Order: sequence, then C-alpha cells, then structure tokens
Amino acid sequence: MARFMTIGERIHVISPVIRKALQERDPAPILERAREQVEAGAHYLDVNIGPAERDGEELMPWVVKLLQSEFPDTPLCLDTANTKAIEAGLKVYDPKPGKAIINSADAGARIGMLEVAAEYGAMVIGLCAKEGIPRDNDERIAYCTEILDRAMAVGLNPEDILFDPLFVVVKGMQEKQQEVLEAVRQISEMGLKTTGGLSNVSNGCPRNLRGLIEAVFCSMAIQCGLTSAIINPCNKLLMDVIKTSEVIKGWNLYCDSYLEL
Amino acid sequence: MTYKKPVQKLAGKIREITLGENLKLGGESVLPFYSFDGDTGHKPVIGMEIWDVHPENWPTTVMEELGDRVRNPVEWAKFCEEKYKPDFLCLRFVGANPDMGDRTPEECAQIAKEVAEAVTLPLVIAGCDSNEKNGKIFTKVAEALADKNFAFLSAVESNYKEVGAAVGLAYGNIVVAESSVDLNLAKQLNILLMQLGVKPEKMLMNPGCSAVGYGYEYVITTLDRIRLAALDQNDATLQLPIIMPVSFETWKVKESAASVEDVPEWGDQEERGIAMEISTSVGILAAGANAVVLRHPRSLEVVREFINSLIQ
Repeated sequence: MARFMTIGERIHVISPVIRKALQERDPAPILERAREQVEAGAHYLDVNIGPAERDGEELMPWVVKLLQSEFPDTPLCLDTANTKAIEAGLKVYDPKPGKAIINSADAGARIGMLEVAAEYGAMVIGLCAKEGIPRDNDERIAYCTEILDRAMAVGLNPEDILFDPLFVVVKGMQEKQQEVLEAVRQISEMGLKTTGGLSNVSNGCPRNLRGLIEAVFCSMAIQCGLTSAIINPCNKLLMDVIKTSEVIKGWNLYCDSYLEL
Repeated sequence: MTYKKPVQKLAGKIREITLGENLKLGGESVLPFYSFDGDTGHKPVIGMEIWDVHPENWPTTVMEELGDRVRNPVEWAKFCEEKYKPDFLCLRFVGANPDMGDRTPEECAQIAKEVAEAVTLPLVIAGCDSNEKNGKIFTKVAEALADKNFAFLSAVESNYKEVGAAVGLAYGNIVVAESSVDLNLAKQLNILLMQLGVKPEKMLMNPGCSAVGYGYEYVITTLDRIRLAALDQNDATLQLPIIMPVSFETWKVKESAASVEDVPEWGDQEERGIAMEISTSVGILAAGANAVVLRHPRSLEVVREFINSLIQ
C-alpha cells in the first residue's frame, strides 16, 4: 500500500508576502516557504499564482524553474485557473522527481485541464464540482464519473487523477461534514485516488483550533480512504496525526521512532 | 485478445551493499527469486564459518578434511577459500567467550588481521555470546581492519552505540543490525544506527534467525513482512540486504547434536545436521535473505545449486 501523500499549500497568492514576491519576481520569500515545507515533510509543493490573467504565461515558468533549481527532488502542483499559464509551466517542468499535478480540473468550465494533463503527462486534481459547491453526494459522484469518463476518452490514466470531493467549512456547514467523508468513501471504493484542501474545513475558525480541526478531519478522512491532502505541513500536530494514521492503517511499519522520520 | 502476464510492480528497491572490495549484495526490486516480476538484484551469497579456536563436536567428515588446519585460523581460512570457494568467510571469535578462554580484543584483532592478509575473500567478523564483550572485540578488530568494508555480526539494542560508532563511523566497516525476530525492533534498530550517523551503505541487517522447528515460522513471516515493507511500502529504513548466520543456529539443536547412539531411529548424525542446515537456509533465502553463513561443505554445495537453479 502506498503512503499518504501531502501537498504543501503555503506558496499561495493569497498570502501578501507571496503575492508581492510573485509580482516582483523576488525569489527569497518563495524559496523560504518552499524550504520550510520540504523540511516539514511535504511530498509536493503547491504553487498558487492566482488567475494571473496578465502575466501567468511568464510567471508560472519562472516560479517552476526557480523551485526546481533549488529543490530538484520535490515535485510541484501547479495551481491556477489560467490554462495557458499551466501549459507554460508544464513545458519547463522537469518530471524527474515525479509527475506535475494540475490543480485543478472540474466537471464544468475547467474540464479541459484533463486534456492538458494527458498531453503533458501530468497528474490532475479532479474537483467533483461544476458551479459552486455540489448540492449532495449524488451530484458529487455524478461529477466524479463525468470527469473519469472524459479523462478516459482523452487517454488519461485513472491513477493520475486525484478526485477532490470538495471539503467544506465546519463553521457554517457543519451538517455537510459527514456527507463529504461519505463521498471520500464512495470514491475510494471505486478504486480511485482522492485529495482535498484541509484548510477549507477550518476556514474562519480561531487560529488555536484550526490545526486540531484539520488533524482530526484528516484522520477521519484517511479512515474513509483519503489518499492525499493539500495541507499546511508546518502544522506539526497534523503531520504527526497523518504519520500515526498511516501506522494504524498498516501503510507504514510501526517502530518507536516513527514520528521522527 | 492475447494474454498479458501480470507483473507485480513494487515501489521500493533493496540497497546495493558491497562487502569487501567487490562482493555485492542486494539490489533487488522484487520478492525473493521473483525473476518473472523484475530485477532480482545480486544472487544471494554464501559464507563459511571459521573459528578462532579448535572446534569440538563439529561433523566428522569436516574435521577430517580440515585436519590440523583447524588449529590455525589462517591455515583454515586459506584451505576453505581454495577448496570450497565460498563467497566470503565468517571468522567467529568463539574463544573470546568468558568461559571459552576469554581471548582479549587485542588478540582477536591480531588473528583477524592475519586471516585478512592470508585470503582474498571478504570477511564477516562474528563475536562471542556476550554482547558486552563483542562491543570491545569489534572495536579492536574494526580498527585493525580499517576501511576494509568487512561486516560485523552484530550490533544489538544493548551495544549498538559502541559497535556502530567504532565499526561504522570510525573504522569504515559494515555494521550488521541484529534484532531477535521482532519486526518493529528491526526497523527501530536500523533507525537508531542511522541516527547515530552510520550510513546505510555501511549497514546490513539480521532480523533474527533460528533453526527449522525452533520458532522458524515466525522468522519467515518476519522476513516476509520486512521485505514487503521495504518493497511495497518503499520503507527506506528496511531496504538493507539481510545476512543470517544459519550454521550458528542449526548445529546446536538436538536434531544435529544428538548422537546416533542416543537416538538410533534418527539415523546418521552428520546427515541430520546437513539436512537442518540446508532446510533452514533455503527457507530464509526464499523469504528474503541475501547472505547465509554455513558450516558443512555439502550444505554449501546444495544451497549454491538451489540458488543457481532458481536464478539462471
């Protein structure tokens, strides 16, 4: 059984520091965030440059090359709705450490990302949504199937898609939490890989609770079959909970020092 | 539609470790002998046991062939190298046992040095029954044979710091991490040695051996699970070749030790001992061991034939 895969989320345009660094092409703050995430054990680094309508085609290759030159062993997850920027990033991406992941395709306007993934030999996150948040799990599974059908038609291997049932915020959508976990279970039972953004779950909660909420949700989702997540790897509690879940699931052989690895 | 043979693809690969100058162990990315699934790496290797003292109760034909050479480890080693052509020699300091003469670490180092100079095969150094004494022996022997890339049997939980620091860190030899048929401890001990600073390319493991009939099923499932963790879960802490001193276990159990006068219905004593050694070896090789230490030349011949028949 493969290990749980973590995608570090901290290179994100929503952070003022990163936004400024991207705008000014200033490597230092971006590399610093990359380093802290790699050292904390993230397998992949997500690079969110926002819509970048003006300069995405130039910005994405710049940041891809920057990160790969400094962290040649860490694969990247390219995150923008701008298809041209994704393509430009994939053109310069070196797949040696692992296939790039496109974040993301959906069953709506962004379904074309599946073709891009197939063309460039990348993996892709398949968001089980079309417009906004899916109403219920019937809708989620319908979108999942739609994405899968299209992916097969364009020659994409199902193993290269991470299905994201769309995690939702606990503060405000508490009644939907079990439904999301159930969606993870249903998708996993189809033999498909899954992922999701854990910070969605704790969004808007007090800072001292966010790490705990994410850790507990992640552990419950792993029990439902979740195979990867987009996370803040600097949340030590979350990383320890993931490692412990892997031991309890039997994905990693127990030893007294398992948290230190 | 034509039949496509399914292949079990595993994520991990056993590290390739060089014993001495060029005896390579490991390198496989499939379960033992699964050549139909992929790369089986280097062929498992066989070493022969040599003692620093005159052995009592060794099989008659072995003693006859060795003759007076058993009184001198250097002559003994040279003879084995030329006549039986094993892949390596295992020099075992039985005489360092406190109740077997209590040979000093300095004397052990001198003997090891003389043997190493007399033969071209790589050596595996084994200690006595006292882990505390072994820490001292290994330190001196590793110093005398610095940077030879010889393996030392073994570092255990109670002496891994001393053995790891001397053998692996200070004197450039290979530390064998030994646990007693405990899956979790096998992994833990590897991690502790790595955290001490011993490089994985200077490590082998012995997760605990027994003779057939003596908790052997547990030895086999432990090996199985270690190999599956290393290959299927890609657990880097367990991707080390495995060496097992089979003869240390099989010749002391009653099936090998009881005389034909005591149990006439069991038949010839030496044949029994050989059978125990061979059956123990083939089982652990099929479960993932990369190297075994044997005593009887007949066992060496049969086990080598077994390996060659399974890997063309």
